[in-house]
Amino acid sequence: MTKQNSPPRRHPIALVLAAWLLASFSAAAAWASVATTSPPLKPITINLQDKAALRNGALYTLHMCTACHSLQGTRYSSLPAMLGMSEARFKEIIGTNGHHYHDVITSSMPPSVIDAFVKILPMDLTYIARRHSPAWLYTYLTSFYVDPSRPSGVNNVVFNNVAMPDVFAPLQGLQKPVMTEGLRYGSPAKVAIGVEPLTKGSMTQAQFDRTARDIVTFLYAVAHSHEQERWRLGPWIIGLFVLLSVLTYLIYRLYWRRVITSEERWWKVGK
Amino acid sequence: MNSKIRSWARGVFGWFDDRLPISSMWRSQVSRYPAPKNFNLWYIFGSLALLVLVMQLATGLFLAIHYQPNPHLAYWSVLRGIQQDSHWGWLIRDMHIVGASAFFVLVYLHMYRGIMYGSYKKPRELLWLVGIFIYLALAAEAFLGYLLPWGQMSYWGSAVVTNFVTAVPVIGKPIATWLRGSFVVDLPTLNRFFVFHVFLMPLLLLALVLVHLIALHHVGSNNPDGVEIHDNLNETGWPRDAIPFHPYYTVKDLFAVSIFFVVFFWFVFYNPSGWGFLLDKLNYTPANILHTPADIHPLWFFLPFYAMLRGVPDKLYGIMAFAGSFVLLACLPILDRNPVRSIRYRSVLYKVNILSMAFSFLWLGLIAHGLATEHNMVYGLHVTEVFYMTFLALPFFNRERPLRTKVIWLLAAEALVWLVDLWMYSIHAHSWSLMLLTDWIPALYALLLFGLAILFPALTQDAAKLPERLTAGGIFH
Repeated sequence: MTKQNSPPRRHPIALVLAAWLLASFSAAAAWASVATTSPPLKPITINLQDKAALRNGALYTLHMCTACHSLQGTRYSSLPAMLGMSEARFKEIIGTNGHHYHDVITSSMPPSVIDAFVKILPMDLTYIARRHSPAWLYTYLTSFYVDPSRPSGVNNVVFNNVAMPDVFAPLQGLQKPVMTEGLRYGSPAKVAIGVEPLTKGSMTQAQFDRTARDIVTFLYAVAHSHEQERWRLGPWIIGLFVLLSVLTYLIYRLYWRRVITSEERWWKVGK
Repeated sequence: MNSKIRSWARGVFGWFDDRLPISSMWRSQVSRYPAPKNFNLWYIFGSLALLVLVMQLATGLFLAIHYQPNPHLAYWSVLRGIQQDSHWGWLIRDMHIVGASAFFVLVYLHMYRGIMYGSYKKPRELLWLVGIFIYLALAAEAFLGYLLPWGQMSYWGSAVVTNFVTAVPVIGKPIATWLRGSFVVDLPTLNRFFVFHVFLMPLLLLALVLVHLIALHHVGSNNPDGVEIHDNLNETGWPRDAIPFHPYYTVKDLFAVSIFFVVFFWFVFYNPSGWGFLLDKLNYTPANILHTPADIHPLWFFLPFYAMLRGVPDKLYGIMAFAGSFVLLACLPILDRNPVRSIRYRSVLYKVNILSMAFSFLWLGLIAHGLATEHNMVYGLHVTEVFYMTFLALPFFNRERPLRTKVIWLLAAEALVWLVDLWMYSIHAHSWSLMLLTDWIPALYALLLFGLAILFPALTQDAAKLPERLTAGGIFH
């Protein structure tokens, strides 16, 4: 009976047309922004369960990187569980660099030395690893190249005019850039999109790539320290609400069947 | 024994019920509160927003316990103190982050529902206005809270916004300094933002939400058909098209809450930064007063307003442009005086206009998401004009217009667009050629809207006959 009262719905073609028109406008606006050639990131798969990779990464990070960088998102004491080793073994193999076991991981270099050396406080590794994808970090670590125009003599493919010196040169050897004609903020420029080996280091390229991958794995694990917990808990919590959705939907149907299907309004206040 | 306990419990409850209107309130506001029986999917966002408000208060309480409002400590008190050193801190913080964005998603949908079904029309004007104030308080709350993690985007976002006041001539700068408590965003700013975020704004929000609910229950809910259910009562005084809020809408809301939490917790567990939309990646870098980021932009829910600000080539006018959009929203009951409430029974061109309102808002967001290039700024300006026009065109649809009036509206709209653009060009910020190239956006919109109204008068006709009773109901209608 309610159906007879309602006027027929209008054809929605005008709405569809308007939607299409506006959508095409916005696409044009989105694409026409300022372009910068972005070099391809090297693909990488990291496995947070791979304890050997995590330990190797921890070893390099805590013995090389923390010479300048801090890693204040974590404490030494939270690492052994993550690396799958005992406290004693951790202290023996990796060590706390003279810090208390429960201390936050800070840079080994005093600020005055850093100031004299690179003039800029190296960024904390926790937020570098949170800000960038593993692929970016991996490409960054493996893509330093010789650039005489820079004070440190090196530059980086994914981080133009980087301030960090190439600390991996003894391991990886020096590299030369693969340049291409590209864009930088809309204007034509020579852009490095990759590297080629120049000199030999103490590691083979495959060894170094694996080391870089391990460092990335460790940094990712530290910066996303509850990742495993998320993946473990997520299905249960989400599953609970999926189940609740089904249940509440059934309850909803149960109550509403009478309302939706009634021809006459059945509800009367009072008895 | 059992009946003894029951009578004792009834006695205790009775004691309270005699002194507090518990059961009578429950009856009048919940179990015998008449709600239209045809609420659709659009009507769940209000109660979901209320749920998120409670969730934000609860999670915020725990965050405030562990947070240090001091520039030297704030960043690591969040990233290590809350996320690492305290039990479940990571979960609570991510719920708070995702909750903030969820709040805005729900509130935007809730507002658009109101626009679609004319929920701001008599007698619900004040209800709408209080809602706008809730939105403003929510925006302030989100802005204040964004400074607290003391990341780069927190810091520079707050620096940009507190600098808005300096656009006011002469007294602007002293006022900005007074607001910040410092010449730049610093310790005093962080302290007061913290206090406002955890104390003042939540209190204000709760009070406004209470007023919003009281006003709603006083005038009753609108519905997708726009039919006033209280005009058709049965012999007992109950609206014929109403069902009691409880249990019908409580079970429906429970279903909505369950679905909402599936999506919500997917974000919390698997995508807490929401592809960089819920929490800007740059905010993982601690605030650095000596290093301004190349691109400062707000979180996604303020992006459309940011596009308006950026689009107008003058600080004061830009601020007026985005503040004006709030004024336009608040003025909806004045602009749209057509007696037909629901979009279901409005004309085709009105539907196009309402849809364009949403699309131009989204488009503005997309533009502000891009870099602050001149191209994006000019597009921002012109889409802002479209957004404004969707509001200013509302009076046009108040009744059937004769041909002459339609032509006048078309000419006036086109003239307005070109005059505004000439004025903007006179401020000398945008290149003339780029302005000319993109002028077609608002000009074409005016041409489309009013031109079609002239060519096809049927497109401006509302439904000839309105329903007297509600049509179909249910969750998927």
